[in-house]
Amino acid sequence: MRVLVVYAHPCGESFCAAIRDRTLATLAEAGHEVCLLDLYAMGFDPVLSAGERRGYHTPGENERPVAEHLAHLRWCEALVFVYPTWWYGQPAMLKGWLDRVWVPHATFRMPEPGKPIARVMTNIRVVGAVSTLGSPRWWWWVMGVPGRRVLLTGISVLCAPGCRTFWFAHHRMDSSTPQSRAAFLDRLRRRLPAALR
Amino acid sequence: MRVLVLYAHPNPESYAAALHRAALEALRRAGHEVDDCDLYAEGFDPVLSREERLAYHEVPRNRAPVADYVRRLEAAEALVLMFPVWNFGFPAILKGFLDRVFLPGVSFRIEDGLARPNLRHVKRLVAVTTYGAPRWRAFLMGDPPRKVVTRMLRVLAAPGARCRYLALHDMNRQTQGEREAFLAEVERTMGRL
Repeated sequence: MRVLVVYAHPCGESFCAAIRDRTLATLAEAGHEVCLLDLYAMGFDPVLSAGERRGYHTPGENERPVAEHLAHLRWCEALVFVYPTWWYGQPAMLKGWLDRVWVPHATFRMPEPGKPIARVMTNIRVVGAVSTLGSPRWWWWVMGVPGRRVLLTGISVLCAPGCRTFWFAHHRMDSSTPQSRAAFLDRLRRRLPAALR
Repeated sequence: MRVLVLYAHPNPESYAAALHRAALEALRRAGHEVDDCDLYAEGFDPVLSREERLAYHEVPRNRAPVADYVRRLEAAEALVLMFPVWNFGFPAILKGFLDRVFLPGVSFRIEDGLARPNLRHVKRLVAVTTYGAPRWRAFLMGDPPRKVVTRMLRVLAAPGARCRYLALHDMNRQTQGEREAFLAEVERTMGRL
C-alpha cells in the first residue's frame, strides 16, 4: 500500500520522533511504499492567508498554494498522522495543514441541498494516527477526544466509503518511563501492520 | 470587567469580521474594558518552536517568547473566543495561541505530577463561532470545538465560571435574515456579559 505519513514535532530528539522512525521502519518492513511529510522540517506555514480564504471556493485557484501536498494526498492509499496531542488536538502546525490542504473540489465537494458533503479522496482507504498525550485515558474521554474525532471522523468521511481508521496513543506522558515508552514502540511494531492490511 | 477577545479570521469583509465588530461595540457600550486581540492583524505566529518546546516546563522562563500575550491573558476576567470552525477545530492561528501561550505556570500548573487549573481569574467564557456543518452533523461528529471550549477551557477557568457557546451552523445555506438574527444574539450576549 502507498502510505503518506504526516509528522509534526519541533524536536528531533523527542519521543514523537522515535515514534515516527518506528512507524516508517514498520511500514517498510511490511512492504509498504512510504512517503514522509515532516511539516516542521519543511517549514510549512500553517496559517491560511486572506488570499487563500478569498480563493477557497474557486476550483484550481485554491489548489495552487498547496499543489505539492495535494499530489501526495492523491498518491496515497493510507494516511497516517504522527504528532503530540497538545490541548486535546493537533499542534497548530498540523491543524493548519488540514486547514490549507484539504480544500473544496480537490478533497471534497460542498454539500448540495438535502445532501451531505461528498467524498473526493476515495483513493484513501485507511486513516490513522499515533499520538502522545499528557492526560490519562479516562480524562481524555471525559473531554470528548476532540483531536481524535477531527482526524478519524472528520477526515475519514472525505475518504473512501468504509475507510478504516486506527488510533494508537501513549497517555500520561509526563510520568512515562523508558519502559513504558519502549513497550509502546513494541506495541506499535506488532499492531501497525494489521491496521494497514 | 476586563475582557480579552481572541479573534481569528483573515478577512475584514467576512461575516466573522462583522460579528467581531459588533461584539467589540456591544462590550464597550456595556462599559467593559476590552483588549481586542486580532491574531491575524497582529501577525501572531502559531508555531511552537523547538526552543519553546525545550523550555516548555521551565517556569517562568517559558513565557519569555510570548510575555506580552501572557500578560494580556493574565489580566483577563472574561475570555471571548471568536473564530470560524474549520475542519471541526479552531483555525491554526488560534490553536497555536493555546499551544504557545497557555503554558505551565500560566493556564495550568503541575502539582505532584498532576495538572491543576490556573486561569482562576477568568470568570466568564464565551465562544462565538460559525460552522459549515449543520447542528446534527456536528453533534454526530462529537463536536470537537464545542467540547474544547465547554469542557477543557471551562476546567481551566474559575470554579463556577459561566460559559456560553454561541454557534451558527450550516453557514453555506444561511439566509441574510438568519445571519442578522445571530449577530443580534451575539450583541445581546456581549451586552449582558
